[in-house]
Amino acid sequence: MKNKIKAKGVSVFYGEKQALFDVDLNVAEKQVTALIGPSGCGKSTFLRCLNRMNDVIDICKVSGVIEIDGENIYDKSVDVVQLRERVGMVFQKPNPFPKSIYENVSYGPDIHGIAKDKNHMDEIVENSLKQAALWDEVKDRLDEPGTGLSGGQQQRLCIARAISINPEVILMDEPCSALDPIATAKIETLIDELKSLYTIAIVTHSMSQAARVSQYTGFFHLGKLIEFNTTDKLFKNPDNKMTQDYITGRFG
Amino acid sequence: MTREQRLKKRYTAEKRFRLMGIGAIAIAIFFVFLLLLKVFSTGSTAFVKTTIQTEVDFNKELLELKDVANPNIEQIKSAEFFDVTYKAATGLFPYSNAEEEKDVKQLLSGNYELEIKNYLINNPDALGKKVMIDLTASDDLDQLHKGNFPRDIPEDRRRLNNFQLNIYDNLLEQGKIKTVFSNYFLFSGDSRDPEIAGVAGAIIGSFFSIIICLIISFPIALMAAVYLEEFAPKNIVTDIIEININNLAAVPSIVFGLLGLGMLLGVFGLPRSTALVGGITLSLMTLPTIIIACRASLKAVPPSIREGALAVGASKVQTVMHHVVPLAMPGTLSGTIIGLAQALGETAPLLLIGMVAFVVDVPSVPTDPSTSLPVQIYLWSESAERGFVEKTSATIMLLIGFLIIMNSLAVWARQKFERKW
Repeated sequence: MKNKIKAKGVSVFYGEKQALFDVDLNVAEKQVTALIGPSGCGKSTFLRCLNRMNDVIDICKVSGVIEIDGENIYDKSVDVVQLRERVGMVFQKPNPFPKSIYENVSYGPDIHGIAKDKNHMDEIVENSLKQAALWDEVKDRLDEPGTGLSGGQQQRLCIARAISINPEVILMDEPCSALDPIATAKIETLIDELKSLYTIAIVTHSMSQAARVSQYTGFFHLGKLIEFNTTDKLFKNPDNKMTQDYITGRFG
Repeated sequence: MTREQRLKKRYTAEKRFRLMGIGAIAIAIFFVFLLLLKVFSTGSTAFVKTTIQTEVDFNKELLELKDVANPNIEQIKSAEFFDVTYKAATGLFPYSNAEEEKDVKQLLSGNYELEIKNYLINNPDALGKKVMIDLTASDDLDQLHKGNFPRDIPEDRRRLNNFQLNIYDNLLEQGKIKTVFSNYFLFSGDSRDPEIAGVAGAIIGSFFSIIICLIISFPIALMAAVYLEEFAPKNIVTDIIEININNLAAVPSIVFGLLGLGMLLGVFGLPRSTALVGGITLSLMTLPTIIIACRASLKAVPPSIREGALAVGASKVQTVMHHVVPLAMPGTLSGTIIGLAQALGETAPLLLIGMVAFVVDVPSVPTDPSTSLPVQIYLWSESAERGFVEKTSATIMLLIGFLIIMNSLAVWARQKFERKW
């Protein structure tokens, strides 16, 4: 299995406080990699390093090397806008723009000049919404505000928005934590379908979700990567005692 | 204490708290009501004027329009109106000596000659005929008719003598004294004579000042707020800037007036007493207020919107311009309107840059000398004539009216453009 992302010795500091300690982790191409662990363990911090979302926070300092296709994304020559074109992200709370459903999806292609003309843009919007399994529900009301959709639909709209610019990697930061079980099931099915096209890294609080959707799982605790294994191995027969305790619900 | 006693005590405390709240609001409403009552009862009569029906003989010979059968407008305009107007004014009532003649003429406003001339220009058919025209009465007669002058005080302390009172009673009996809507108050400039003084100059002056204030302060304030809120690094320099902005918002407005006087008039040599300088001075004063309002509304945009835009590869500028600023617009607009409303009511800085001058002409461009509404209130409140008392109150009514309109506009803008997320 080819590794799309290789992280070596990644440490993150928020001011004086160190949030991540020397993490080495690889994300396999066109597979789903889940990051689990108790709250505050650094899994979201690590995820946000992969598209340099932490750059927004003034006091945040990242050290170490993260390579995507062999290129260090923290290199000075890397343009962060171009990086985020390749690495999309879906957030914990659905955050569609307060614009129409169409504009939510067309915004990315628009600013990157991907669409050749109006027809091409319509095509991109339709394909993105179809890939996000939302097309049938919204095709008759593309002009309505994206914020008027239900929570689960909003999150799928955000996924459509992320894939509209055809990224190589999609990062998902607890995408189902604000959703009900039915919406969660839809997103999980969707993730399974999307992995044939995109490399996916997902942070989740739900161990069953990690077990259901991912092929690889990393377990974080107090800013350290405790164990990284195939999902099968990590949940059935973990190498580390702490992982064992966590997945059996003894702490966390 | 038993359960019942504690419950009763809690209920009493809640009731007391509610009553205190209602009481506070009632007191506030009472004082506002008192202010409005006073202003309205004094000021409402300024919108009407008293007229005296006067017979005017547009005799062609008196007008010196000889040998002309059908004179055109140009000739009427250049005609000699002295004899016609003199005859009309003195014809109001029979008199026996020169002093009484003066008394009769003084019952009409200082503008009656122009009124007669304008009547003929507008009604050329009246040429050669005797017509009855309602001419504006003098301030003294106007105030007497409105009941503001007592008649039972000694003659030497009255504005109108016994002879004039007699004429008034006589004319009133004949039904020649009328109360009509005043075309002067809303549509003409200031005057030394209260009966023909108006606020048009002040309204236009205020309008120009506010527009200039808006044009200058809104873009600068928005850019400053966006830069400070979204782009500037958080360090000691930006902290100092922030403290200074908050400080400036609290600086007395007269200081900005001095700044305008020293910089705009003194150094840059801009024209004194003009709405241009007034508007720039007011914009200096409102800038900190609008910056603070804009920053607050930018801060209120949820960070998730910024993250959403950044995550699809929008640059920082695109994120701010496409998403954050449009979402902050409702708060930005209402903050700006409230800042402008504050500027509209501002007097002190305008006094210093000379907008307190006596200006008769209604300004047509911002570089014409003019006053503004609050300054007009200040000017008239100092005048001795009884007629200016009601004008002062009426101008306050107009100012309050404009402020209510602007503040409602702010509320409307906020609700209209508000978007949920």
